[in-house]
Amino acid sequence: MRALKGVSFDLHGGEVHALLGENGAGKSTLIKVITGAHQPDGGTIEIGGQPVRHLTPAAAHKLGVACIYQQPALFPDLTVAENIALRLEPASPTRRVDWPTRRERAAKLLHQIGADISPDAEVRALSMPEQQLVEIACALGAGARIVIMDEPTASLTQKEQHLLFAVVKDLRASGVGVIYITHRLEEISQLADRVTVLRDGESVGTSAVSEMNEASLIKLMVGREVSQIYPPAESEPGSRVLALKNLGCVAGGVREVNLEVRAGEVVGLSGLVGAGRTELARILFGITPADAGEIFLNGEPVTISSPQEAVAHGIAYVPEDRRRHGVILEMPIAANMTMAIHPRIFPGAWLRFGAEQQLALDFIRDLGVKAYGPEAPGNSLSGGNQQKVSLARWLATKPKLLILDEPTQGVDVGAKSEIHKIIRQLAKAGLGVLMISSDLPEILGMSDRIAVMRGGTITAMLSGKSDAHDVMAAALGQTK
Amino acid sequence: MNTDKRGFKSILLRHETILVLLLIAEVLYFNAAGRRFGTLDNGFNIVRHSVEIGLLALVMTPIILTGGIDLSVGSMLGLCAVLFGKLWRDAGLPPWLAGICTLVIGAACGGVNAALITRLRLPPLIVTLGTMSLFRGLAEAITQGTDAFTNFPPSFLFLGTGRVAGLPTQAWILLFVIVAVWLLVHRTTFGRSFRAIGFAPEGARYAGIPVERRIAFAYVLAGVIAAAAALTYTARFGTAKADAGFGYELFAITAVVLGGTSIFGGVGSVHGTLLGVAAIAVLSNGLSRVPAIMNTASELSGMLTGALLLLALAGGLLPKLFAARAKQSASSAAAK
Amino acid sequence: MKRHFRELSVACALGVLLLLLALFAPNFFDAQPLLSRLTAAAPKLVLACGVALVIISRQIDISIGSLFAVCTTCAGLVAAAKLPLPVAILASLGVGALGGALNGLLVAGLKLQSIVVTLATMVTMRYALLLSQQGVLINLPPGAQWFGLPMTAGQFTVCGIALALLVLLAFGTKHLAAGRFIYAVGSDSEAARLAGIRPQLTTFWVFVFMGALCGLAAVMNMVQSPQADPNGGRGLELEAIAAAVVGGVAVSGGRGNLWGVLAGLLLLACISPALTYAGVKPYWEKAIQGAIILLAVVADGVRNRKKRN
Repeated sequence: MRALKGVSFDLHGGEVHALLGENGAGKSTLIKVITGAHQPDGGTIEIGGQPVRHLTPAAAHKLGVACIYQQPALFPDLTVAENIALRLEPASPTRRVDWPTRRERAAKLLHQIGADISPDAEVRALSMPEQQLVEIACALGAGARIVIMDEPTASLTQKEQHLLFAVVKDLRASGVGVIYITHRLEEISQLADRVTVLRDGESVGTSAVSEMNEASLIKLMVGREVSQIYPPAESEPGSRVLALKNLGCVAGGVREVNLEVRAGEVVGLSGLVGAGRTELARILFGITPADAGEIFLNGEPVTISSPQEAVAHGIAYVPEDRRRHGVILEMPIAANMTMAIHPRIFPGAWLRFGAEQQLALDFIRDLGVKAYGPEAPGNSLSGGNQQKVSLARWLATKPKLLILDEPTQGVDVGAKSEIHKIIRQLAKAGLGVLMISSDLPEILGMSDRIAVMRGGTITAMLSGKSDAHDVMAAALGQTK
Repeated sequence: MNTDKRGFKSILLRHETILVLLLIAEVLYFNAAGRRFGTLDNGFNIVRHSVEIGLLALVMTPIILTGGIDLSVGSMLGLCAVLFGKLWRDAGLPPWLAGICTLVIGAACGGVNAALITRLRLPPLIVTLGTMSLFRGLAEAITQGTDAFTNFPPSFLFLGTGRVAGLPTQAWILLFVIVAVWLLVHRTTFGRSFRAIGFAPEGARYAGIPVERRIAFAYVLAGVIAAAAALTYTARFGTAKADAGFGYELFAITAVVLGGTSIFGGVGSVHGTLLGVAAIAVLSNGLSRVPAIMNTASELSGMLTGALLLLALAGGLLPKLFAARAKQSASSAAAK
Repeated sequence: MKRHFRELSVACALGVLLLLLALFAPNFFDAQPLLSRLTAAAPKLVLACGVALVIISRQIDISIGSLFAVCTTCAGLVAAAKLPLPVAILASLGVGALGGALNGLLVAGLKLQSIVVTLATMVTMRYALLLSQQGVLINLPPGAQWFGLPMTAGQFTVCGIALALLVLLAFGTKHLAAGRFIYAVGSDSEAARLAGIRPQLTTFWVFVFMGALCGLAAVMNMVQSPQADPNGGRGLELEAIAAAVVGGVAVSGGRGNLWGVLAGLLLLACISPALTYAGVKPYWEKAIQGAIILLAVVADGVRNRKKRN
């Protein structure tokens, strides 16, 4: 699959250029190309008017490209001053370390961006936004001409946001070009000079911010025909499977969630990356247990403090990170499929290879898994088939509530529509399905109702007949 | 056949084939060059001498499958031996009751490791390094460094020197543990869980496997079996001293890794471990039967064991290298 | 202050222990026995410093006891062959560095786990040594003991070497870029790579350095007796690792301080005399050492857990 098809993008010194797009529109791939982490297979890159070939991370660094990722790449055990120094000083081992200079430089850079962080603080003791500020200080210290910020405000408080905006404006005033990636439309009008919208790996428009309003931006972002045909809803919603009352979890950043899922319906859970959707799923599955609110399953109040309890209550969770959490890649798919039902299929803990084989063969047939057999290890399968194995593992538990987290991410088109059909059939068979997805057409095409999350809570419940604009607007925090 | 294994059939088969060939070569050579090597008595001798290492290696296998390690098994053996002596001589318990108490003590020692590793999420390496020192130290403290328990009744010594149905008594214990651990690892959901945890601890958690409980089980089991090994050891030598089983953890780990179990977790088998134990035991016994090197046999066998481990480590890398290369060429072909 | 909390608490524990000894057993501080104790501990300090660096880079080395014995034997053989002492010292350092390079090559080059690699080299070297020497002590020429100095001067020299090394290393790990690279690699090797540091190369050199320190410690130990003992060094790896861990070097890498290692080593070294004076049988020494190691590890674990929450 191509992540980028045709992108034209230019950045002037002394401007803030916002990059906007849905999840998966190709923003992160574009960043990787600019920072030299990925090689483009077509087109040209020019930096400072010079065409650049074979951009590597080191070369990009030399040319003054700096990137502040959402997850800072810092040394947790070392001080802020040293973290900054290790990035800026030459990597020659015989050099004498000049601590006063290190500290002074760090203090100066931190002061410059208005960050109230001690140069002697250990990075592991800093909050995520503080770590981002340290990254910005690194970029500033490296004398970067191009600074890329990937959703820098995602985890910042209001005060920290203002600080950051001031830093970005300072950078602009000093002639630095800033590529600013964000999901928050209001930030664009406050901060950016120009904006480019990406959609499906293509740039669909660049214009001055003054010429755009929020409505026209949303239209550009979602302006696509739903090209795929989704299976129609056939079932009437039945009894209430899941009800959440003011559910919250401090560690997961989720608060006051109220939600209902009925038997036989697919509830889409939409929202931007970092809105708390996966965190909500992890609470329901007992990985980070809730510390506030109530969970009702089939009307009964329950507490879920471990995945085993969740499974016992009839909750199944097909996780987002298929390769790390969904399937154990080194193990055969039959073993993967029975992994969540050990007590049931293997009474007394004795493996019954016949029963396992049969179950695996049934699922391979029913879900159309393409593999050479039940013994094929997970990593011999394509992404879509791995996803089916992950799904089979959880269907085997005969759940009442099925939580799907990005069920078709990184899955090819054919497998995608097969998975959609399966989801529909499951709902028809009486399961309550909660489907997290960043794929807007998928949410719209599959959901009977759509819950939209923002800032750790559900901010809107929309009907399944809503259009893309409504969902995107709700996810971006726009009220009509 | 075992489902868990087929995916790595080629690698394991190769590894185990090499071990079997090595074993055959050893037997053939020592039979030709050694004096009275190929006798039944000597066969029993080999078994008697390798029971303790064998027991420890067997229970080390599940632990290493989960990606952990237990350096304290040798010290647990020592502590259990001493406490057994104490219970029998000073507390006046009959040997069988003292033996049962010893097994419970072993479980408690393993429980200490398990609690520190699963509750506080400390790395197994450093935890068991600490308990290795602690358990051995306790054994020394209890015996005041020099005290040795001897004069056990013949009924107990029978465990280490007698024969039951033609086989050395402790061979039956070893056989029982072999079957039990083999079934555990290859035929129960526990074995599945160990592998899953070794491959991907987070993935196992997301699959609803009680990761902490399974890991704890492996370490407690190691404690119980180390206690059993303490009993056979004491019965074989007729004395219980604080230095019992000193350094055995190293031989146990060597046997496991030699048997093809990956120290990164997930991959491995109990029969591989057995082959590893056998290769070491036959080597050590055989060298002592070859007249020319009889006097330096134990040193030579120790050195060769270490060298074998190095070879196994480097050899275990080869399939990975090939796989990586194949993957690389496949992906570059796909890119084109 | 907060940053060195761990080291300071160990130093405090050591201070309290010394104070108790001063109160209840003042003859612990008699010059000659104290000097002897310190001299005996000096080679261990050298090893503990080395292993601290290894642990800081997020590796482990349990072969140092065996390598120590190999170096002792080499130095002893060279000295016994009537070659001048500096040649023996160089031989010891060289052989140590070579052994360390072997470990480093296997760990950094082949990316094998350091625990099994050094387990294998530990066993191999130990038995190879037994095989070649049959455990026979090597008689040293008279000029070798105490570097040919009078005993007290020799003891001061040995302690002085250890102290100088400690100061040098403490300085190097703090003020030399190479020293900081070790911390960086141990803290996050991927971030280190992004910062232009080569993690595998750093790891390799740490193991080589560890080996050379084994050679140095072997010489410092050898000159204390009229014979070189090819059976020596058993369990030294545990003592060195224990000193490092008790001294606040985190097994998760990237954290630790050599002054803390000194405090940890002295604390562990003072236990047995303290026990003797307290009337406790010395057989408890090892158990108490184990308990202290566990205590240190548990303390770190609890602290990390609190920080996570």
